Amino acid sequence: MASATILAKPQQEEDPPYHHAPYQSTALRGPNKSPLILRPGSTELHGAVFGESRIRPNDADLTAQHGGEPLGEKIVVSGRLLDSSGRPIRHQLIEIWQANASGRYAHALDDHPAPLDPNFTGGGRTLTDNEGRYRFVTIKPAAYPWGNHPNAWRPAHIHFSLFGTVFTQRLITQMYFPGDPLIADDPIANSIRDKNVLARLISTFDWDLTIPGTALGYRWDIVLGGSNPTPEA
Amino acid sequence: MNSQIGRTPSQTIGPFFKFGTEWIADEHIVSEDHEGAIVLTGAVYDGAGNPVPDAMLEIWQADENGNFPPDTPESWTGFARRLTDASGEYRIVTVKPGVVAAVSGEPQAPHISMVVFARGLLKPVFTRVYFDDDAEANASDPLLSALEDAEARSSLLAGAIGNSSYRFDIRLQDSSRGLETQFFAFDD
Ligand SMILES: [Fe+3]
Repeated sequence: MASATILAKPQQEEDPPYHHAPYQSTALRGPNKSPLILRPGSTELHGAVFGESRIRPNDADLTAQHGGEPLGEKIVVSGRLLDSSGRPIRHQLIEIWQANASGRYAHALDDHPAPLDPNFTGGGRTLTDNEGRYRFVTIKPAAYPWGNHPNAWRPAHIHFSLFGTVFTQRLITQMYFPGDPLIADDPIANSIRDKNVLARLISTFDWDLTIPGTALGYRWDIVLGGSNPTPEA
Repeated sequence: MNSQIGRTPSQTIGPFFKFGTEWIADEHIVSEDHEGAIVLTGAVYDGAGNPVPDAMLEIWQADENGNFPPDTPESWTGFARRLTDASGEYRIVTVKPGVVAAVSGEPQAPHISMVVFARGLLKPVFTRVYFDDDAEANASDPLLSALEDAEARSSLLAGAIGNSSYRFDIRLQDSSRGLETQFFAFDD
């Protein structure tokens, strides 16, 4: 089937597979056929343009989106968005969403009987700066139970949605916290077979990011693959 | 040669993304009364043929002249995000994109790029939406003509359903709803 458009090569398998039996929802939703490897066309080598006007100042401070202070441990999460050559990806959108300090999502279908926090929704967004940096102020999310198997608990995590400069770089993933004992038994985290690759999802505690007396700090850099024609600055 | 650093792997979007992603989920790339506007609708189905009500899909496309930003009117984003409803359905108002070149330089038939995220997808599925009333352009499209499997090819065609509307369903797996949609991964 190889042609100028469809390439005869296997997919790079750093990402998890579509089928991972311990994560039960993959059974009916993961495709059974392998994707064809495509040489991207012009459409895939362009990206959407998000105006800075859509981002409001409090969008990156999830602790300041309501009238009062949310409950829980205040943290800073910061790092850089890079391409696989280590170049910064500038002025691109990063979205996050997460559970609150009790492990509850502000989502109508989350039936975990942990309390909602009227001062915390858990959604945020920002644009990377000229060095590819981002910074969120938020609350450390708690672990939460889920129905995958008896006594299943997700490790604490923050969902991240990333846009590179081109469609092929689109990524949604999850950031975990260092030293979390739940990671070792989590079917979603362990869908990544290579432990060195999984380690890329675990943030690092960093004193330099703390706000003394107010917030602890976690550093997490994100590297997007995909064909990235970012011009030199 | 550049030294490569390891890229960040994918994880599922999970079931509870609405409050983090809905802010930019606008079904209009153009307004309903835009000249040449089309409506693209469809649904996401699982391997049991059931609708997937917790999927998020995004499209990226050229404008009607085959242009991308910055060579487009200022209002043009080329991007739409939809969260599927309880019936797994989505709706987008856009235009049929113009002809854009493949990397090889050949013209490609009008098409939209689509990515779908869902609970149960540990990484997204990428596909392309072509239009079944562009038979001539489709016949010489470099991707469609390289697909030997007629069913894979037809899974990429949005069907004209009249009134400038097209239907494009995404089947994550084979089911009573039909064969699995042809998905793609991209060469790095
Ligand atoms: Fe989650």
